[in-house]
Amino acid sequence: MVLGWNIFPFVAAVAVLLSVVAAIFASLDKERGRRIAIASAIGGIAILAAFVAMLWLTLERPPLRTMGETRLWYSLFLLLSGLVTYVRWRYRWIMGFSTMLATVFMIINIAKPELHDHTLMPALQSPWFVPHVSVYMFSYALLGCATLLSVYGLWRPSAELDKAINRVMSSGIAFFTIGMLSGALWAKEAWGTYWNWDPKEAWAAATWGLYLLALHIAPQRRRIYYAIVIAAFLSLQMCWWGVNYLPNAERSEHTYTMQR
Amino acid sequence: MLSLPQNCNYVLGERKIIIYELLVISILAIASFVIQHLAGDIPVELFSFPLNILTIALWLVILGWLYRSRQRSQYAQSLLSMRATILSLALMVVLGVLFGIQHSPQTTSWPAAAALLFILSHLVLVTLRGLRDSRGKLRTRFILNHLGLILALGAGFWGAADREELRAIVERDVATNVAYTHNHNKSILDYEMTMTDFSIEYFETGTPSSFEAKVIVDGEEVSLRVNHPYNRTLSETLYLMSYDAEHSNEARYCIVEIVREPWRWLTVAGIVMLIVGAVLMFVQGKRG
Repeated sequence: MVLGWNIFPFVAAVAVLLSVVAAIFASLDKERGRRIAIASAIGGIAILAAFVAMLWLTLERPPLRTMGETRLWYSLFLLLSGLVTYVRWRYRWIMGFSTMLATVFMIINIAKPELHDHTLMPALQSPWFVPHVSVYMFSYALLGCATLLSVYGLWRPSAELDKAINRVMSSGIAFFTIGMLSGALWAKEAWGTYWNWDPKEAWAAATWGLYLLALHIAPQRRRIYYAIVIAAFLSLQMCWWGVNYLPNAERSEHTYTMQR
Repeated sequence: MLSLPQNCNYVLGERKIIIYELLVISILAIASFVIQHLAGDIPVELFSFPLNILTIALWLVILGWLYRSRQRSQYAQSLLSMRATILSLALMVVLGVLFGIQHSPQTTSWPAAAALLFILSHLVLVTLRGLRDSRGKLRTRFILNHLGLILALGAGFWGAADREELRAIVERDVATNVAYTHNHNKSILDYEMTMTDFSIEYFETGTPSSFEAKVIVDGEEVSLRVNHPYNRTLSETLYLMSYDAEHSNEARYCIVEIVREPWRWLTVAGIVMLIVGAVLMFVQGKRG
């Protein structure tokens, strides 16, 4: 373990604390509370972002290789997209949900830290690496927010809520599409083929199909719509980390942590 | 000839149409599984140039004719319906999940090809219908997303037979023009390759940080590294595939993979259109 990772629990605690304060003030729905909420959320995001930047510098490579490192970005982007959703569409409880989900991922990172070393295998040394993974992580965060809104919608459906889900989800789909296609262009450089139905690619296609399904049927059948958004997010989990546990994982060209 | 009124749904009734559609789709699906069972995978090589071009022409003519008769033909209306959109996306999900759990994805099976052909046909028809909005203005974002997907998917689907993957063992200081297909068939290249140098660099932990082969290809010295292939022509690319691991830095040979993909620029055009469409979707937000 390199210097830097050991301070993560403190960083995470401060970031979570600020985010919780932000979520509470946001839920009060008062103009003054709103300013405090935004300032506090920005503070939490900035601290986490500074930690990611420091990790990048000390590792001398983009911290996007291991699952733990992608979880770190996910927490960061989740807090960010929660804040954006709050500022843009004034959903006063979205930051509470995004903070909760981000906290879960940070706790996993504290409980199960993975090896963070300098090595970056030749297969990952490409200009495509950073955009491909970070765009994906950002889309996962937006889609996570859309899922939280959909779960809420199963209990209290409303046209207003549909509008928010649709906006957050379509931004998430846009980033997901860019992540997937930048991956296809990279795959041609690295493996000679744009698309190989590698397990991760196949699950990405299934996930993409489900989100497009939600996008195309929205908002005629409200509960089916919510259910598809939630199913799509489950498929996304398969794509992100579930594939590593499938029996066919050994034929995947997307496993970078099990070597050595 | 019997002419039906403009809206067939009115004549047949929504429920009857859906039953009829389910029947046709089930027959086609079962047929594809029966063919798969009897004949095995699609003989992809058969559809290489020019047969694929001819098939595309025929396919587009049929789709164009269907599109023109969309006021009269129930087939056209069904293929243009929201149900067809839902079925297309559901098929994509099913293919994704199946290929995502299979050990060797059956991408060249008849059912998979039938599903892709259905998705592509539906896409072509809805793209034709949606080119312009009610005021006659071209719908840029719609066209980018849908035509982009047609090109990206279609180039992979129709161009699969024209794709060639060869492997050549390139020895140090020995010129060779022999390569092999996946079926171990010999193929003679119209140029020669010679390896002049091979080097591996390491991190302090001992894991390799880079592999590099210097190869003379057709008289020109090029460097082949992971993620850095050599584009010999617009359709042919050379990749460093493997090397003589026993001798590491003193490797006596490397294995070069030669990929010929004449349709690749159509794929790229489709991918670029989809990326621009996605950026527009983020910037403009969901519409309609």
